[in-house]
Amino acid sequence: MVMPLYIEKKPEVLITEEGIRTDGRKPRELRPIRMTVGVLDKADGSAFIEWGGNRILAAVFGPREVHPKHMILPDKALVRARYNMAPFSTPERKRPGPDRRSVELSKVIREALKPAIFAENYPGSVIDIFVEVLRSDAGTRVAGVNAASMALANAGISMRGLVAACAVGRVENFVICDLNHDEDMWGNADMPMAMLMESEEVTLLQIDGPMTESQFKEALELGRDSIRFLYEMQKEALKRPYQVIERSVKGDL
Amino acid sequence: MFGPELITHNLLRDYIRELASQDQRIDGRSLHEFRPIEIKEGTFTKAEGEAWLKLGNTQVLVGVKADVGEPFSDTPNKGVLVSNAELLPLASPAFEPGPPNENSIEVARVVDRAIRSADAIDMSSLVITEGKLVYMIFLDMYVLDYDGNLEDALTMASLIALARAEISEVEVNDEGEMIIKESKWKLRLKDIPVNFTFVKIEDKLLLDPVLEEEQVSDAAITLAIDKEGRVCSIQKKHGMFTMEEIIKAANIARSKWPQITDKIMRVI
Amino acid sequence: MSESIILVKNKEIVVPGQPLAKGKLNLGKDVYRDKFGIIRAKKLGLVDVKEDNISIVPLSGVYIPREGDITIGIISKITGSTIIVDIRSPYQGAIPIPRGRAVERVNMRKYKLKLGDVLLAKVKAFDGSSSLLLTIDMEGLGKLEGGYLLEVDPAKVPRVIGKRQSMLSILRDKTRSELIVSNNGRIWVKTPSLKELLVLEKALRKIENESHISGLSDRTSSFLSQELSN
Repeated sequence: MVMPLYIEKKPEVLITEEGIRTDGRKPRELRPIRMTVGVLDKADGSAFIEWGGNRILAAVFGPREVHPKHMILPDKALVRARYNMAPFSTPERKRPGPDRRSVELSKVIREALKPAIFAENYPGSVIDIFVEVLRSDAGTRVAGVNAASMALANAGISMRGLVAACAVGRVENFVICDLNHDEDMWGNADMPMAMLMESEEVTLLQIDGPMTESQFKEALELGRDSIRFLYEMQKEALKRPYQVIERSVKGDL
Repeated sequence: MFGPELITHNLLRDYIRELASQDQRIDGRSLHEFRPIEIKEGTFTKAEGEAWLKLGNTQVLVGVKADVGEPFSDTPNKGVLVSNAELLPLASPAFEPGPPNENSIEVARVVDRAIRSADAIDMSSLVITEGKLVYMIFLDMYVLDYDGNLEDALTMASLIALARAEISEVEVNDEGEMIIKESKWKLRLKDIPVNFTFVKIEDKLLLDPVLEEEQVSDAAITLAIDKEGRVCSIQKKHGMFTMEEIIKAANIARSKWPQITDKIMRVI
Repeated sequence: MSESIILVKNKEIVVPGQPLAKGKLNLGKDVYRDKFGIIRAKKLGLVDVKEDNISIVPLSGVYIPREGDITIGIISKITGSTIIVDIRSPYQGAIPIPRGRAVERVNMRKYKLKLGDVLLAKVKAFDGSSSLLLTIDMEGLGKLEGGYLLEVDPAKVPRVIGKRQSMLSILRDKTRSELIVSNNGRIWVKTPSLKELLVLEKALRKIENESHISGLSDRTSSFLSQELSN
């Protein structure tokens, strides 16, 4: 018998009449986000995302040889993804190893990224995507998709475009973006969403909780607008290391 | 040594051996020199104590979490320490997803043994109600980037994470209910048992091997030194050593202990 | 060419999917045309516009073999009929050991090939997915003896070689070393001492990191002089 040293507390008010949320944000406001690429030495591509209280590391290996061999696809690359939560990523220690949730999220993340990859350019190989949640604070799957998409680009893999993602949802009558922990736990609807930004096509969409027709439409639009913002951050983060080097080289001259 | 599937080539083997015979190493270090040690600043987990440590290109993240539960029946007056290591597939092409294997279990146990054998944690201080309720400390070691010598990196990071841990105080009221208080207590370390890993190449002992050195080495050994300078745990891994070599390794480790503990003390 | 509009600057860094141009242009490497006719980047890299051609010079990437490439491989397996060679790519190379007294068989014996040996090998045939044939049966190819292997990102190999081998000459001359650069990003080196090897390795990292900034040869040259005089 093990008991956690943690008690979940429901806030009295999730959102005020003026639309102020438990962390002080307005409905259409994102939490602070920072993205960094190339953080790991041995992976072919990697990215680290700090989003609110989330800390997520993504790495890509490949295209590389397929093991086990029977998984080989003769005409395109096999794309695999693994979403995993560290035992210390949650207030209550999580037992190591996959559970039903992480198996589903691994699949959802794979399906979100796969349409963006020119898998036909690498027949008979595998592209492995690993998403490690080091600290979770609501919205880990969408944060993971953003990081994994950058890790793919950082690995130099052929892609149609970057995939960016954000959660939207509903708390009472407010449609909000980027749900925090309280809203994720006690809110009315949660809608993680990802898009292949260049063509504005949806590659991940899940809904948990009811929304009216107009709320749903508003949520989709808010999702797209938030994702556009994240996409700009991804672009900036991918180019940043090269620009930093350029500035330092030119400064030396 | 991990990952037999990692490709090694004979030029690597020959060159590292040739260098070792001249007291040189592939990255320019001297034989008994550690790679740079860096402890990353910031909060990266939800653990009660944590440390993200870089040893050269090896990166590890250790989190200490505390729960409460029943003590083991044979040690009713002691808390519980559970150590676990994950060789994440993102850390190396040689690591595969899956349950702990003999390599991850061995490395977790080597770190655990150093901490236990030096009595670094006062296990009796973890008791809330004798025989009934104790703190359970989970030491979760995460390998993020593998470029050799996980043992030493994980031991250093574990000691830092343990020493930094701030755990909620727990009280049991008259009805026997557990109450989690706002106040925290700090898990203090009684000792700093540092692990030192050596590989043997061409009859030379190389401290803190990089991946390539591990791959071509003839033998490997990890020794923990406590604050009294005593050897408190050893794990001989592959290969063989003479007794003189083992004594020499212990002497080198002893001489390096102050330098490493100084690094650790600065961040806890 | 009034029928085309280029949306980016030449040599600009772009990310996958970024729109590069519209209209009549020839598609070079690592670009594609979407269903609306917009030409987009496939990879993170530098835009390269040359007359009517637009392509991307990628900043990183795994090695994908092409026929005629020179690779440095490591023997990972030897069976009765085939030598399997790792060339740092998703596809393993194979060198068939012919029956009888063919020239290649004689070569195998001459080299006494064993596991872990390093070969300079040419890509003889590649079907794009599974079958990759290598050969060492040519002048200059075969087992590499002595020295050491360094690696660079395969996408950066052209920069390590330079125009008319200018960079390679700088690296060779300044460090007084033997160097063979292969298409798969492995570099065989034989240096006078460890010092030159460590400096070479640093120089290669510098070339990788600064490949997108002009004046790379001059910078590398002065970097080598400075590091070697220390």
